This record gives sequence, structure tokens and C-alpha cells, in this order.
Amino acid sequence: MTDTTEAEPQALPGDGLREGLVDELRRRLGEALVATELRPNDDLWVRIDTASWREAGEALAAMGFEYFCYLSAIDWMPSPYGRGEDDPTEPPPERTTEVVQGVTGGATRFQLLARVTDTRRHVGITLKSDVPDDDPTMPSWSAVYAGANWHERETHEMFGIGFAGHPDLRNMYLPTEFEGYPLRKDFPLLARMVKPWPGIVDVEPMPADEAVPTESPDVEHAETDSTAVAAAAAAEPDTSEPGDAST
Amino acid sequence: MTDLSERQQLSYIAGQAADARLNVELETEGMTLNIGPQHPATHGTLRIIVRLDGEQVVWAEPSCGYMHRGYEKLTEVRTYPQVTTLVNRIDWLGSFANEVPFILAAEKLMEIEAPPRAQWIRTILFELSRIANISLFLGDLGVQLGAVTPAFFAFRDREHVLNLIESVTGGRFHPNFDRIGGLKDDLPKGFVDETRRVMRKMRTYCDEIDDLLIGNEIFQARTRGVGIIPKDVALQYGLSGANLRASGVDWDLRRDQVVPMAWDDVDFKVWTHPDGDSFARCWVRLQETREATKIVDQLLDGLPAGPVMAKVPRIIKVPAGEAWVSTENPLGEMGYYVVSKGDLGPFRVKIRSASFNNISVAPWVLRGVYVPDVITILASLYFILGDIDR
Amino acid sequence: MGLVDRGRMPGAIEKLMNLGRSYSMWVYQWGLACCAIEMGAAFASPRYDVMRLGVIPLPASPRQADLVVVSGTVTDKMAPAVLRLYDQMPEPKYVISMGSCANCGGPYWDSYSVTKGVDQLIPVDIYVPGCPPRPEALLEGIVLLQQRIKHEDMAAKWRGETTEPLRREPIVVGGGNVA
Ligand code: SF4
Repeated sequence: MTDTTEAEPQALPGDGLREGLVDELRRRLGEALVATELRPNDDLWVRIDTASWREAGEALAAMGFEYFCYLSAIDWMPSPYGRGEDDPTEPPPERTTEVVQGVTGGATRFQLLARVTDTRRHVGITLKSDVPDDDPTMPSWSAVYAGANWHERETHEMFGIGFAGHPDLRNMYLPTEFEGYPLRKDFPLLARMVKPWPGIVDVEPMPADEAVPTESPDVEHAETDSTAVAAAAAAEPDTSEPGDAST
Repeated sequence: MTDLSERQQLSYIAGQAADARLNVELETEGMTLNIGPQHPATHGTLRIIVRLDGEQVVWAEPSCGYMHRGYEKLTEVRTYPQVTTLVNRIDWLGSFANEVPFILAAEKLMEIEAPPRAQWIRTILFELSRIANISLFLGDLGVQLGAVTPAFFAFRDREHVLNLIESVTGGRFHPNFDRIGGLKDDLPKGFVDETRRVMRKMRTYCDEIDDLLIGNEIFQARTRGVGIIPKDVALQYGLSGANLRASGVDWDLRRDQVVPMAWDDVDFKVWTHPDGDSFARCWVRLQETREATKIVDQLLDGLPAGPVMAKVPRIIKVPAGEAWVSTENPLGEMGYYVVSKGDLGPFRVKIRSASFNNISVAPWVLRGVYVPDVITILASLYFILGDIDR
Repeated sequence: MGLVDRGRMPGAIEKLMNLGRSYSMWVYQWGLACCAIEMGAAFASPRYDVMRLGVIPLPASPRQADLVVVSGTVTDKMAPAVLRLYDQMPEPKYVISMGSCANCGGPYWDSYSVTKGVDQLIPVDIYVPGCPPRPEALLEGIVLLQQRIKHEDMAAKWRGETTEPLRREPIVVGGGNVA
């Protein structure tokens, strides 16, 4: 289909490739591969034991996953402030802060998240690993993937997760005197705390959740939603250019 | 140092020998030089601290964060339609391209797909923003090396592309035009003919830049063999886009992954260059701009008819789940890891932006180069501050 | 100018000086984010061509500038640099704040790292709203500033009246009040 200056690239991965990758990872890591989730022709998640995080990186690098995509973390605790749309004059509503992990499960509040890609076989893997709650420190990948250096600095700054073996965990973005870890869910956005979110001041009556686009003329101007435009576009075929397109 | 041609190796060795001689003859003293945060050569507010020994860089460290706006936190307090407004502004030269992977990730979670016409228009706008973005890079490149003329050319011809984008989306940049399930609107009348005309113009612009800059002897003398990034280093640092392809890695997400966009239906060439130096990076970008104009032409030929919006509920709630989608943006691989808990807004969005990785190689590649080459190398790596700091 | 020093300036001379000042403004481009590209389009592109308004966008340092255009998001980390830049400029100096970010924080009004408006740091003469404002809007801002300069009372400055830049009422391009 396309032609390149080098040899023809291999075909896109089909089924089977990702299963093979899981098998190979299990062979290399054994028990350290805690959980996997595979969606055929789509994506692959694996969860690695905390202690083997670095070995997992080395194994993947040896398996041809040379391209380092990103490394970050997730805080699974729902925010105690919701989306910051509470009216500050009212007492704050009750919110659950129960930690529920996503794909491949987990046991801790913080999880590391990383992705590496094999540019020859055109396949990527998303890795996760639990970060211990009492001592949030993980082994560093900076010796395995040089690019992880900056990503770990960023993760340290945003989540307060330490990386053992990282050369220099200075702040990357924020001034040195900045307090708190912004991407933790319990970090409040103060601007939203002191002033009611403008969206709640003059809300229009919200349509029902399951409502589908209708042909009513005033829907077109509803600013909160855009889907109505589809109906409008479908109703006025002369704004499109099917004639032009076929020439 | 792997994957260097013999010529490069020889010139490298010769350079080292010359430096050694110089250092014996002249006692040099260490010096720390601060470039930025506001410096015409840094495309914004990047600050670089370099320690010099004579004219040579011993150690260099970019200091980011002057444009850190906290996107990842802000996405957690926005609804899905509001997030597109925000992510527009990450890579501000190719805004439309930023929306697409996010929307695709949300659509993947909702298990809907945009109708074919919407996919094609998305791809057209995506490539138009690539042209707008890289054409400015090519003009700006001259400014960094001391040639001002190409910048005027770039601003002149980029306006035509911006006019096209404006005619469709209503905004010169930051269109906020992509919706979950399709597009806000259809193409305006006359768009197809006008786009064909502009694409011809942009090809002329590429030829002009080729004559004026890339083919220029002085330009080549300043960029060839400067800032060589070998293949394995480029992969380790996660360089993407033209920077990776200029190091000889044949990897383009438009071709190498399946996303519901129209790239599968057009023919295009993925350009690579074996050298990995500053010149290669600029050259690959120039070829890519040409290629993008051809992609747009082909897409216009086969534009399918039909609606531009799928059926989606009026209030968008994305089912719980996690999805990763990345696309080949003008600067490289841009991806979003979206975690949803079934709410109106995402639970967590990890934004993987290309420039962050691309610039993280700077301490490695700047070591041992001469001061004037610092600017050349940074210019050829091509970063946008919003894309680094987010 | 001894007359000026003593605060007694003939009107005609004052008019002449104001005219000269308003049509030879050296503007320092403090481009910070997306808006910087639109500022670049206004200042460097042949389509908008700011020099026809008598504005010279090429000073080498803020010490040579009469006007600074702050375009883009000012972050807390950047704020000290903005202040320092302003302090380096010689009087009389003017500030145009371009874009919602520089005006009030814009789309990042609730961010933890963004300064909510450059006017918290330095006095602003002209606000150009928009995200990003079109280059034409910036040019209009410059024209409005020139009109203001033309009517300035130079002598009052030397008499020590109303020289505080803070007491100048800011203008919003496209109308509107600064509350
Ligand atoms: S006002 Fe808008 S366009 Fe301007 S810097 Fe802010 S986000 Fe970017």
C-alpha cells in the first residue's frame, strides 16, 4: 500500500501476537506478572509486581520494546471535592473516597502506569504496578530507558512517588517552594473553592439523560451540547458538498 | 555511537582531535550560560542552562515549567466536551490534531465510531494543521540560523491554510470542532476547490523553502553532521515523529496502527533519513509537508457523502473503562490514556505529548557541541512549549 | 527642554511630541503561549504588517522599548521574569495584555500554576480579549493606544500629577468595562 525508503514494514499485528507476548513475559518474569488483560487487535495491559518493576522493564527492552512512550501514575482515590462545582455557601455533600482500581485490578491507592512499544512489530504494552501505600517508592527505570528520567521526575513532582536509583528528582515544572502534589486527587483547586463554578450560577434546565437529538429548532443554539448539530446537518443536505466530492 | 556512516565517524574523530589540540594550546575556563526563559531562539519560554568550556558545551539542562498550565489536573474537573477546548491549546500550532486522539479515545470507550464522511474531514483537517504547523517550523528555522526571509514566506503562506481551517471551523487556530461521534458541522461550499488551490500553493512554498533554505550551502554546512542522534538513543528517549524517522526508524502511526481515520485509504510515503543529524530532521519535515499536501488532495478526491455525526446521547457519559489512543501529530506521537468511571468527565487523563520526549534528549545531544550549534540542534528538534510543559 | 522641566510646555510642542511618540513606538514582544503566534502573525506577516502603523517590533531588549505586548499565559514561575522585564523598561511605558490568559487566566482560571491575569503584576493599558484574539484585534489595540498617547498631558507628568500608571483607566478592545 505504502512504500518506504527501507524494507517493507511487517504487517499489522493480528490476533496471536499479543498472546505470544504475554506468554513470553510470563516465561521471563514468572510470578511477577500479576495480572493481564488482553483485548484482541486492540491493546494489552499487564500488571507487574512492585519489586520486579525494574526487571519487567529490562525484560521488555530485551524483547524488542525499545521505544519508550511514557511513564506516569494514577491516583485511584476519588476526589473528596468532586469536580469542584459545589456551592461554597452550602455544606459540602458526602462523597465516597473508596479506592477502586481499573483494568488489571490492584491493591493500592497509587499505581504506576507506563507504556513501551515495539516499532518493528507495531505493538505496544501498557504496564501497571502497585505503589506501596506506606512508602511510595518504586525502582527507577532511568537506567533501562533513558527517556524515563524526565517522566519519573514529573511523576515524583505530581504524585510524590519516589524512584529509587533515579539520579536527580528535582522539580520539573513547579517552583521549588511549591507545596503539595497537584495530581493527587486530594489536592484542591483553590480557585474553584473560593468562587462558585460559573457553570452552576445560571444553569438552564438540564434535559433528561437518555434524550436523543430532536429536530426542535431551539436545540441548535443550546451551548451545552453539540450533538444537535448532527440533526441540523442531516436536515440540510445542501450545506454539504456531495456533488463536489464525487468529481 | 552506532549507526554512523563512515563519513560521519571520520568527521567526528577529526573534530575530537582538533578540540584536543586546541585545549592544549589554550587554557579555557568554565562558564555557565543561561539561555531564556524568554529568548527569540527558544520558540517560547524554554530556559536552557549550559556549562561551557571555552566554546564547547560540557553540560546542558533544559529547565521547563514556564508554561506549565496543569492540563492533566484540569481535565479531571471538566466534562468531555469541555476537555477538547482545553487540549486544543497543548500544541498550539496544530490545534486540531490535538483533539483527535482524545475524541478517538472517548469514542473507543463509548464503542461508537464517527461516520465515514466525518472521519475523512477529520483527516483532512488533521493534515491541514500539520501543514500549518510545519510550514511555520520551516520558516522559523531560518530565523534561528540568522536568515529572516523564510519567516515572512512562512507567515504569508500559512495564512492560506489558516483561512481554510477558519472557513470550516470558525477559528484560525483552536477550532474546538471535533465532537464525540463526529464533527460539529459539514464542510462549507467551495471548500474543495479552494483547498486544491491552496495545496498547490503550499507545494510551491515547499519548493521555495527547498531552494532558499534546505538547499542552501550555508544551511547545510551548519546542520550536516551536527547533533547526531543514533537510532537506539532516539528509541530509548522515546523520540517520535520526524525526529525518529530522521534517525532511520521507519515508524509512522498513520500507517502502522489501526485508528478510525482515513489514512488507510490513501497512498503516501513515509520518509526516513539514515543520518540522524539536524539536517535530516529538517529535511524529513519538509518532505512530510509535501506528502501532507498530497494526502489532502487524495482525500478530497474520494470524500464520501453522508452525515457527519453519529447518534450520540445529548449528555455525554462515557462508560467506565480505560483506553489509550495515539496519533501521529505534527510534532510526533501524541496520545491520551483516558480513565473513565462513567461520569460526565474523565477520571484521569494522561497526556503523552511528543515534545516532552523530544526535548528530553537535549542533555544527551547537546553535550560536547559548540555554542552556535545549540540553537541549531534545538531548532531542528522542534518543540512547542505548551507541548513540553502541558 | 527647560520648559518641560518647569512644567510649562506650549500646547503645540506637546502635540508634536505626542504625535512623534505615538508613531514611533518600539514594541517588545513578550510572547508566552499560543497568542504569541497570533502576535507573530500581526507583527511579522506581510498580511497584517504592523509597521504601517508606526510600530517597530524589533527592539533587542526591553530597555529600548516603549510598549510591551504580553501575549499568552503567565505562570507563577514566569511571574518574576515579567516583573523584571517591566522594571527594565524606561518611562513612559505602556502594556498591552493580549488574550484571555494574560487578561484573567482564561481557560486556566482554576489552574494551580497559572497567574490569573498579568494585571496582578504590572499595570495594563489595553486589554485585547479573545482566545486567541485575531491579529486585527491586536492592531486595533495598538491604534487605541496611539490615540490615548496623542491626548496625553506631557506637562502634567513633570508637574508630578497623574503620573501614576495605575491611575490610567485601561481600555478594552471591542468595548466593555474593567470591573
Ligand atoms: S488566551 Fe487562549 S490562545 Fe491565548 S495564550 Fe491563552 S489559551 Fe492560548
